[in-house]
Amino acid sequence: MIGAVAAGTKTAAKIKRENADAEIVVITKDEHISYAGCGLPYFIGGVIEEEKELVVKTPQEFKQITDIDVYTKLEAMSIHSKEKYVLAMDILEGNVKKYSYDKLVLATGATPFIPQIEGADLQGVHTVRTVNDAINIRSLIDKGAVSKAVVVGGGFIGLEVAENLHGKNIEVSIVEFAHHILPSFDEEIALYAQNYMSDQGVNIYTCEKVISIKGEEGRVKKIITDQREIEADLVIMSVGVKPNTKLAEEIGIELGVTNAIKVNNFMETSIEGIYAVGDCAENVNLITGKPAWYPMGSTANKMGRIAGLSMTGDQKNGLKGVLGTTIVKLFKLNAGKTGLSEREAIKQGFEVETVIVPANDKAHYYPGYRQIITKLIADKNTHKILGAQVVGEGVVDKPIDVIATAITFGAKVEDLENLDLAYAPPFSMAMASTILASNALLNKLAGRMNGINSFELKKRLDELLVVDIRDEASYLIRTIPGAIHIPSEELIYRADELKNNEEIVLICKVGKIAYLSYLKLKKLGFQNVRILEGGISSYPYELV
Amino acid sequence: MADFNLNCKGLQCPGPIVQVFKTAKEAQSGDIINVKVTDRGFIKDIQAWCKKTGNELKELNETETEIQVKIQKK
Ligand SMILES: Cc1cc2nc3c(=O)[nH]c(=O)nc-3n(C[C@H](O)[C@H](O)[C@H](O)COP(=O)(O)OP(=O)(O)OC[C@H]3O[C@@H](n4cnc5c(N)ncnc54)[C@H](O)[C@@H]3O)c2cc1C
Repeated sequence: MIGAVAAGTKTAAKIKRENADAEIVVITKDEHISYAGCGLPYFIGGVIEEEKELVVKTPQEFKQITDIDVYTKLEAMSIHSKEKYVLAMDILEGNVKKYSYDKLVLATGATPFIPQIEGADLQGVHTVRTVNDAINIRSLIDKGAVSKAVVVGGGFIGLEVAENLHGKNIEVSIVEFAHHILPSFDEEIALYAQNYMSDQGVNIYTCEKVISIKGEEGRVKKIITDQREIEADLVIMSVGVKPNTKLAEEIGIELGVTNAIKVNNFMETSIEGIYAVGDCAENVNLITGKPAWYPMGSTANKMGRIAGLSMTGDQKNGLKGVLGTTIVKLFKLNAGKTGLSEREAIKQGFEVETVIVPANDKAHYYPGYRQIITKLIADKNTHKILGAQVVGEGVVDKPIDVIATAITFGAKVEDLENLDLAYAPPFSMAMASTILASNALLNKLAGRMNGINSFELKKRLDELLVVDIRDEASYLIRTIPGAIHIPSEELIYRADELKNNEEIVLICKVGKIAYLSYLKLKKLGFQNVRILEGGISSYPYELV
Repeated sequence: MADFNLNCKGLQCPGPIVQVFKTAKEAQSGDIINVKVTDRGFIKDIQAWCKKTGNELKELNETETEIQVKIQKK
């Protein structure tokens, strides 16, 4: 096994359980093994206090429990697949060692991508991948050397680190090249999270590119983007990761279209006897059936188990694919995603229908309930669910997991709508958020409701007549720019005021009252009415 | 100066803000309005309302399950 974090150790442990006689050697160039990479941001912020808590096992403990040898500070330099051995450099001793194998597992993981810009090598510029990365960053903070930090890249890792730095009273700015943070999410959902992070006091600059990093006496001082300069005594580079495939490429192991190592359902590479697992290997997207790359701990562990089974002769249940299900906590906000985003689905050639529905995570009369917003994406023709995103302060992992499960089993919106989900007030609404979203999506698919999403509304604000049908107080507080006010109870007898308009969009708080009013206007003969999906509470753009 | 106490617990948005809006119409300058709410949406609403109307948000306390605010009418 080359690599000893998630995938490597999991594979080793599984082989041993299946075949106690197997002789297993795991090597890693790192000093730590089997650590919780996903916990690093929380160690930086001191939420996880002790290094011991991050490092699940030392090599000695691992040996004791599993009877497997793990050698650290040992870097694999080359693979000799004909003769079946690996040469590795002992980093401490400086000599080369030879390890023979019958079967070889590549679990070399991924490495943070570092843009080639001036100043990327200054002190105070860090990536977050290993335990030592986190220790170094935390010691800078504990020394009091950090008052301003810039996080480059607004993906999960960058955002988690940003939250943790902010918790240490550090002024944090995030610079993101894309239009919004959480680039894999759809814009409306991502912007909701982005507004939330901004409200917590994190500076966020999107559509901005980092040009260079400037320092003094070798230490970072500020970063220069194409729009501004931002002072910083700590820069976190989190612009993505790339799979570690060098060893594999050198011996001609085939890479996939995603540039990760191509494997079949049983984690076998193109060279017999060599397997690849975890972040260095490619996945299949369960929905499209096409190659995809999801460098996630959840997937890495599964791949490890399957490789262990398949190597010991059990090839019954391979990994057919994954959905790229992810979840992140940003302060008190949670955001989860499974399957394809609307953008991805369209790119893959699907004709999609989507809906956005705010709801609560628990009964609205049960103390502590919170709003969550569900975006559901389905295939317009087959009604199969393609993906979902859920965001809010409430429980989002449950709906995301429910939908991930449904997608895995090929569910249609009609199936999701009728799921018998657990309900009592402390846990859910009687009509759970996922079911409400399915209802709304089916209304759209059946043509019962004509909705517009916030993204499109924002683009077309000038052409449309926006009618805010909420109460006077709510309208006064904030509304969509240019909206006129007709409370829902007056709408019918004031309908004449709307007669001459080409296109009307009704807006309410979550979309429900607008839908009822929409039906009334339809009855009066209006053909040109739509409702703002998700209402004003999911509209992430400027309000006045 | 008078004190108004509104118990809006259990009311969902926009219930609480509508109550505040009505009460503020009756209240005189300098009067205090205390509001108890369970709906989280109220926090942003009341902040925005005070900003727009010039009434002063003197206190905002939130726990996991309840929000209490004190407003003084302009
Ligand atoms: C900050 C952070 C937060 C994360 N949060 C989440 C999360 O919330 N949920 C989630 O699912 N995933 C998360 N991940 C991703 C998760 O940590 C990875 O998917 C997981 O660590 C992958 O495990 P792996 O064993 O494939 O690779 P890695 O963890 O990359 O381990 C590979 C190991 O192989 C070693 N190696 C590489 N080349 C050689 C060589 N030639 N010789 C010897 N050793 C070598 C490396 O040094 C490394 O120790 C997070 C990652 C980070 C960094």
